[in-house]
Order: sequence, then structure tokens, then C-alpha cells
Amino acid sequence: MALAGRLQGDVVVPLLYRLDLMQWEDIAFGWSLFSVYGLFQVLLTWAVCMPLEALRPIERWPARRVVVTDMLYTLIARVGLLPLVTFVLFYQVQVQVNGFLVDHGWIPPMLERLIPPLFGHPVLTFFAYAIILDFADYWRHRISHMIPAWYALHALHHAQRQMTFWSDDRNHLLDDLVSALWFGLIALLIGISPFQFPLLVLMLRFVESLSHANTRVSFGWLGERLIVSPRFHRAHHGVLAAGGQSCNYGAVLPWWDMLFGTADFSSEFVPTGDPDAPEALATGGYLAQQAAGVASLFGRLRRARKVPAGSSSAGIRG
Amino acid sequence: MLAAGLAGTGAASRVRQASPGPVPPAGGVAIVMNSAGASISVVDMATHRLIRDVPVLREPHHWTLSPGGRELWVGDASGNTLFSLSPRTGTPISHRLLSDPYQLWVSPDSRRLVVNALRLNHVDIYDAATLSLRRRFYEPSMPSHLAYAPDSSMVYSTLQGSGSVVAIDLVKNEVAWRARVGPAPAGIVWHQGRLLVALMNANDIVMLDPVDGGVMRRIPTGRGAHVIAVAPDRRLIYVTNRVAGTIDALDGQSLRPLFRYVISGGPDCISFAPDGKLWISRRWADSLAVLDPANGRFEVVAVGRSPHGVFLSPMLDLFAENGRAALGTASL
Repeated sequence: MALAGRLQGDVVVPLLYRLDLMQWEDIAFGWSLFSVYGLFQVLLTWAVCMPLEALRPIERWPARRVVVTDMLYTLIARVGLLPLVTFVLFYQVQVQVNGFLVDHGWIPPMLERLIPPLFGHPVLTFFAYAIILDFADYWRHRISHMIPAWYALHALHHAQRQMTFWSDDRNHLLDDLVSALWFGLIALLIGISPFQFPLLVLMLRFVESLSHANTRVSFGWLGERLIVSPRFHRAHHGVLAAGGQSCNYGAVLPWWDMLFGTADFSSEFVPTGDPDAPEALATGGYLAQQAAGVASLFGRLRRARKVPAGSSSAGIRG
Repeated sequence: MLAAGLAGTGAASRVRQASPGPVPPAGGVAIVMNSAGASISVVDMATHRLIRDVPVLREPHHWTLSPGGRELWVGDASGNTLFSLSPRTGTPISHRLLSDPYQLWVSPDSRRLVVNALRLNHVDIYDAATLSLRRRFYEPSMPSHLAYAPDSSMVYSTLQGSGSVVAIDLVKNEVAWRARVGPAPAGIVWHQGRLLVALMNANDIVMLDPVDGGVMRRIPTGRGAHVIAVAPDRRLIYVTNRVAGTIDALDGQSLRPLFRYVISGGPDCISFAPDGKLWISRRWADSLAVLDPANGRFEVVAVGRSPHGVFLSPMLDLFAENGRAALGTASL
């Protein structure tokens, strides 16, 4: 990945040198790789999804300003700040937790040690990791709909009425933070290292972006049951599926929805959005959406405090 | 879930046994640790062609030869694993649990294995024969490179995150001194009764008094001085400069700068081939540079992502002839 090397050598390392932070130089290369892979993810997704959205659109909109905001989310999430924050945060957490475990006589676990035949088969190992992480993501996502305060943040993702392939990363920063902690915990338990599998991570992220595309594409009876399609995920973003009672929570694999009874394989391409979400979450700029998300969270927490204990409405529409 | 094994006790059993392995090429092999690729590349030194990639778990960085030199030990830092390979062919032999083995080296007398756990901030002293942990020293931040006194009585580790060096008395099993030496110290070698330390956040190396860590002299090199490698005949000392993308050759006696080579891509570890060429890992260019110091030309050998430590199988002959000290300043 020559571009990551150039980024590291020409930009990151001179900057670290100037800031007296060269001790982080080796670790920073992970961020350079992360950013460049993120850029390739965006380019690949754009190259495939743009023509699909142009040729087989579900909806046509006269103005696309809100889509531009989603592009900003994508660039921040995949190429810019978020990988850096996640990386630094994960590193620190990993050091603290692993150090604690080692001090108490334990080596942190790793999937290849729990399932020894995986060792020496990196592609197989990756798919095992991908399945576990997708399963974990199903429950993270489902729980985010079940807890009203969490959904107050997640509603930012659902508020988009002009859903396109750019909408995948349209999340509140606090929602991203909770996700990062969730995956950090899983990663700690199974010892994942996404940098080993950049190409495969790129493919998985591609599926997630494609599933948000404004395109009339489904994968057929069998395909829909193997991998999440734009039609399948659109049902999750439908106006009737916003809030506590939703369907199709799976990000890459529809298996968990099938297993836990939340799958909806109807053939409709439904309108998207969350009618109950503040309008700023749908049509505000980036900062306005972030501010509205925080306001919505505090509003939800205040209301929860007023509700007598035992009559909480967890699981009810957010 | 957490019961993967005891950390650093050496209690974990070996899980793989060596197969007879392939016949090594006549010119020897380069065994390269791809730190961001979770693999070890085995390269034919004569043709510069990749023979095979050996998968490891996460993040292989550095190597050392086992006591007796029959095994090449490679530390997989975030994989918390010590891999053992054939030093002639790169064929995997076994692997075992070990806490965060980032940098590692067996003492000149072959009795101790010292492991710098860069991520977890400790320096571990193991019995090299049994790999049982004798003592763990908690250090402020990022133990990075290490060097021994020739009589194996002391080990010195650079602490990259705290700008200091720690000296550990291996006889008394206690810290002898800690001294601030400059910003982001990395490579360290014992040379002519002194310690030389490269400063990554500066453009020089410093000479330390091994008695107390006092800075005796500064020798300018290039921006981001990182690894110091003393040639087997000790007449030249090479310093990789990570930020500048250069390698400086210093006179082994006077430490006067003699030559400068431009090697882009984050030059890092250096190993010396019998033909006088330097095999240098280029961390951000997924390749090695094979430099002919006589004319400054280099060839590029493609390997895995972010190559770090490089072992050349002909170094075994150096080891057989002159012992571990002949290697000790060649690659750390």
C-alpha cells in the first residue's frame, strides 16, 4: 500500500517529529493504513454505487444537500478523525486491560488459541472473526433500538429521508463511541486485529454501504438470505420501522434476523426516515445534527427520570 | 474466555513440531518479520525472490537466536507469542505464550533472555534455557531496544516514551540506574566500553557512560535517528534516520560521519550479509533495501506489510565463529 507509506513518510512522521511525538511513529502507521484503506473503501463504494443509484434509483430528489452532509460523515468516519480517535482510544484501553490481565497471570485470549485449527489459515480466521463481529453488531444495533436514550442518538442515522450509500456512516459521535467501546470489548475477548485483513474489511464495509444505496436492487430469494441487500436493509430504515420495534438489524449477514425472528423479506422498497425525530436530525448540517442528537438524548433522559420506576417504556418507540 | 494461559511463566506447552523442512538455497535466506502483515517472509538471498510467507498471529517485530543457535525466536508482540523457526530455512518449529515480546535478545553468555514489552511497559528477564520468568521490571513508558554489557552482567533498555534508559543488573536482579538521555530514545548498542543511543525525536545519537547513564557526547546524524548497527568488523557504524530517510555511516573509532545513503520508506533494522551488503527493512515501503555500501546503490526486495526485524541465515556462521556478541550489535 504505497500510498499509506507516502502518507506516513511525507506527512505523519514529519508532523510527529515536529510535535516531539516520535515515540508514536510505529503505532501511527496503523492510522496511516487505516486512513488509506478507508479512502479506498470510499472510492470503491462510490465507483459501484453511483452507477447503480443513477440507473435504478428508488427515489429521485430535486435537491441533495442533505446527502452532502452524509458525505462529510463518511469522510470523517473512514478517512479522517474517527480512525485516529478510535486508534488512540483502543490502544490506550488495550494497554490498560492487557496490562491488568498480564499482571494477574493471564495472557489475553485470541480466537486462534480458542480454536487452534484456525491458526495458519488467515482467510478462514478472518471469516470466523467477521461472523462473530457481525453477530455482536446485530445485538448492539438491536439494543440501540430497545433503549430509548440510546435510540435518541441512533435516530440521527434513521432520520435521513434521502438515504444513499453515503448514509452508512451517518451516526452521532456518541453513538460511534458506544459502538467503538462495544467492539473494543469484543475485540478484547477474541483478540481481533483488523489490520491483518484490510482487503476483507474493505469488502465488508462495502456491503454495509451498498445496503444503504438508493437503488432498486435485491439479491433474489437465496441471496437475500445469505447477505444483506439494499432492499433488506431499506426495510430497517422504513418509516414504520424507526424506533423500538424494528426489523432487519443485521449489517452484513441476515442470519441473525432469521435466527431471532426479526427478519422481513418482503419485496417492497419502502420510504425511509423517522417521522418522530427532530427535523434537525434529518435536514440540519453536521454540527446541527450532532447538537440535536445531544438535546434529544438529554430530553429522553429527563423524561425517563419523570416516569415512575417500574413503568419505563424501554422497547417502545424511541 | 480469559483462561488462555499463564503470562510469561514459560508454562505453556509447545504446540507444533518441526517437519523436516525444505532444503535452503545455497546463498542462504533472509527471514523478515512483517509487523503489520502478521507474517514472516522467507527470501532467497541470491535471487531476492520470495520463497514463502509463514503466517504468525498478529505483529512480529524482532528476533534472537536461541542458546546454541538452533532456533530463531521471533516475538509476536500483540499476539503474545514467541515463535520458533529454523534459522536455516525459516520453517516454523513451535510457538508458545509469552507476554508482549516486542524486542528480545539472549545475553552474550546465553543464560538470560530479556524481553522488552513496549505496549505493556515492562522489561522481563527470562531464563533462556527454560523460558521461565525470573523478574518483571515495570518501566514508565515504552521499553524499546536493548543492549547487554559484554560480560552479561547488565542489560540496558531504552524507554522510548519517557526519554530515558534503564540499566538492570542481571546479577543482583535489580535496577542499577535510570537516566534521562534525550527525546524518544530507540536503538542502543554497547561499543568500546560505552553505550550509544539513537534519539528518534532528535538528529543525533548520544554516548552514555554505562556506569551511571551520564551523557558523554553527542554525535550528529540525521532527523529521527533510530537504529544503530555496528558492522561485524566494527570498523563502521550505521545509523538509520527514520524521518530524514537516510542512513549514516560513522567511523567505528572516532564516530566521525563518513558517508550518507538515501533510503526512503522508513529505514529501520539492518543486518549484514557476508558479501558486505546491508539488508535494511523499509517500514512503510513493504520492502527491504539491499544496499551496497561501496557504491551506495541498492536493490529493492518486496516483502510483507511493514517489515521490521531481518535475520540472514549466513549470520549463523558469524554466530558459530564469534559467538552471540558478533550478532548483538548487528540488528537490534
